Amino acid sequence: MKDEKIEIKQGIKFHKIKTNKFKTNLFAIFLNTALSRENVTKDALITALLRRGTMELKSQDLISKELENMYGAGFDCGIEKSGDYHTFKFYLEVINDDFLPEKENLSEKALKLLISIVFNPFIENGSFKEEYVKQEKSNLKQIIEGKIDNKGNYALERCIEEMYKEKPYGLFKYGYIEDVEKITAKDLYEYYLKLIQECKIDIFASGDINDNYEEIVRKDENINKLKERNIEIKKEDKKEIINQAKEIIDNMDVTQGKLVMGLDLMLDKEDIGYAAMVYNTILGVGANSKMFRNVREKESLAYTCGTNYIKRKNLLLVRAGIEIENYEKAVKLIKKEIADMKDGNFTDEDIKNAKNLIYSTIYNIEEEQDTEISYYFGQEISDLNTSVEEYKEKIEKITREDIIEVANNMQYNTIYFLRN
Amino acid sequence: MQIIESSKIKEKVYIEKLENGLTVMIVPKENTNKKYIIWGTHFGSNDNHFIVPGTNEEVTVPDGVAHYLEHKMFEQENGKNSLDVLMALGVDANAYTTNNHTAYLFETVEHFYEGLDELMDYVQHPYFTDENVEKERGIIGQEIGMYDDDPGWQLYMNALDCMYKKNAIKIDIAGTVESIAKIDKEVLYKCYNTFYNPSNMVLVVCGNFKPEEMIDEIKKRLVEKPKQGEIKVIHQIDDDEINMPYKETKMEVSKPLFLIGFKDKIDSEEKVKRHIAIEIIMNMLIGKSSDVYQNLYKEGIILAEPDLDYEFEKDYAHALIMGQTTNPEKVKEEILKEIQKQKENFDTEHFERMKKKIYGEYVTEYNNVSDIARMFLSDYFKGINSFDYIEQYSAVTEEYTKEILKELFEEKRCVMSVVGTK
Repeated sequence: MKDEKIEIKQGIKFHKIKTNKFKTNLFAIFLNTALSRENVTKDALITALLRRGTMELKSQDLISKELENMYGAGFDCGIEKSGDYHTFKFYLEVINDDFLPEKENLSEKALKLLISIVFNPFIENGSFKEEYVKQEKSNLKQIIEGKIDNKGNYALERCIEEMYKEKPYGLFKYGYIEDVEKITAKDLYEYYLKLIQECKIDIFASGDINDNYEEIVRKDENINKLKERNIEIKKEDKKEIINQAKEIIDNMDVTQGKLVMGLDLMLDKEDIGYAAMVYNTILGVGANSKMFRNVREKESLAYTCGTNYIKRKNLLLVRAGIEIENYEKAVKLIKKEIADMKDGNFTDEDIKNAKNLIYSTIYNIEEEQDTEISYYFGQEISDLNTSVEEYKEKIEKITREDIIEVANNMQYNTIYFLRN
Repeated sequence: MQIIESSKIKEKVYIEKLENGLTVMIVPKENTNKKYIIWGTHFGSNDNHFIVPGTNEEVTVPDGVAHYLEHKMFEQENGKNSLDVLMALGVDANAYTTNNHTAYLFETVEHFYEGLDELMDYVQHPYFTDENVEKERGIIGQEIGMYDDDPGWQLYMNALDCMYKKNAIKIDIAGTVESIAKIDKEVLYKCYNTFYNPSNMVLVVCGNFKPEEMIDEIKKRLVEKPKQGEIKVIHQIDDDEINMPYKETKMEVSKPLFLIGFKDKIDSEEKVKRHIAIEIIMNMLIGKSSDVYQNLYKEGIILAEPDLDYEFEKDYAHALIMGQTTNPEKVKEEILKEIQKQKENFDTEHFERMKKKIYGEYVTEYNNVSDIARMFLSDYFKGINSFDYIEQYSAVTEEYTKEILKELFEEKRCVMSVVGTK
């Protein structure tokens, strides 16, 4: 396995990914916790707050200056849903010491800085700094309100929200306006302290990585303060049978309508995800897909149309940007393509093409540092150890029958349309 | 073959001008499996008025024709679409049109030479019929509609409208529904035959290749095209003055978008050096650690670091600061104040820090075969070798940067475009 895992403490792992393809080293820290309505907004707020200062560099300004002096080291953070989990992601990318104009140990410095940003935030009077919390609350509110800015993504979010009502995955990753107000600096800090003692922690180092880095992590006093923890990844809930798909129509000032259809894959068996990936690709990924050929090209009905399969949730999302008056026609055409899949109305050529496309994304994993880290993190939280090579083998083995089996177990859940 | 090496980042580019006039650039990357190829023609949405080589015929074509042509290039006489053929190989293929070039590209780990067969075949063999040209109109119309709904694009187009009076950069790359209605197969063939001649094109390859072998592979696949003289493109040249200082439009956004632009002069000799200095200055003015950004962020006026860009060609040049804010006027006011402050009292420490930051950005560009190839292609059309950014970096002194600050960052060169909330 290329991802060399070292358990620092129970529940805390250091991952070394050695590669010589890049001019940079990339470090990442991921915190993984259960997604809940109670905490979703706090999670988003914490991610934003941690970049505001450490005990050594007490303000964002000082952190920025430090990063700039490190030849523009790139810090990034964000929060993502990983199925029913919420993942806090922190990255620091720095130029490999070999390409600096003058020699220095920039990468070691970078790893220490990243650890300190996540685990040694600036604390004043036993809490996060009031001023920072206030500002980040106001910023977070603006981010939540900004949900409407990208109409395509908004439609997608709304469809997922409708599909997973009252369930963790239906939550918006940045949380809710009404919850932002209620959060105090003190509550938030208490939540943070509990979080870092209980959550799953994964630290990644990718690039020209020698054994020094493991030592840095082991000896770091912020890491030493963390306790051992029990991590158990919960299995996905069983999907409910739906007789009639929901139809949701929202109105907004748009010139182009955004159609999103959400389908559940009702099959829960090992490796079904690989067959579903091939199914998804034949149906709606790229210029050879049935959707692209028939809905976009043959009917000139949509500028954008395609499908996404979300493996962790066994969820298929169909998206199309269409003229508003073409709504019924588009739904009908898309449904026909989906029905065609059940009837096995696709060629061996389609299967081959789809597999080729998936292989190319598999090959791509090792060609980008953040993609490679994300891949191994995905394996980590699924409790799997599938190497990139095995991943490809699993796709190779998928047969026409496997794909039809997926098609026969697709259930319409929600049809969502954003129009004027 | 010409070989240019950058010792600082340990990369080389091999350049060869073939007999038919085609320029080939190869950047070998031994450690990577990914391969990237991009084939571009020096023909973009701005080039709508030209003289066909060997004639005196002056031609004006409808707006959006370069982009329309790009869409139609994939269509083949055998009924196949080359994009499908490439995708079927598992090759990630695409094409795009900018205001000064059109490019066809793919990226892959496997099946590179099969992909090369297809790419070089379709770019050299146009197949336009009345029917297939007609069919595309609906799709492009939808694409134009998509841009109409995109606040970021509207913001940018309005800023160009503020800066330029007549430069063709003001025209939407895809044209308008009305302008594309006038495009037919004759127009497409005329543009193709004029601009898709090898002498007007450059091909860039990046990946684990031996340059000599790569050149042979390309030569094998070339089709003979008539030798062609220089294409005279007639561009409307703007003077230094801006068109109007402000333009606002309202769209459904949660918070206003702003774009502050500075219109630069176009006769600069030291384009790369100037570009580096301008990037440093913009970072000093509103980059993450600047006083302006920190203060606006604390007051909740700005939420994220604005995007900074310097775009330039032979006939236009401008610096852009783009972001989202609750108060566009305030952002502009603070930036102008900071410019004044820096002119009076230049912050040397800040300058050095930004210079380091930018060095890191230039090196990081070399992480990815696609970034490398795209950079070499677009720089080539500007008459630049991309390594110059690394090589000329140390020549950008504080004195030089101060001069540029004085020259470009003036209120009379400044425009603002705003997309306000409804």
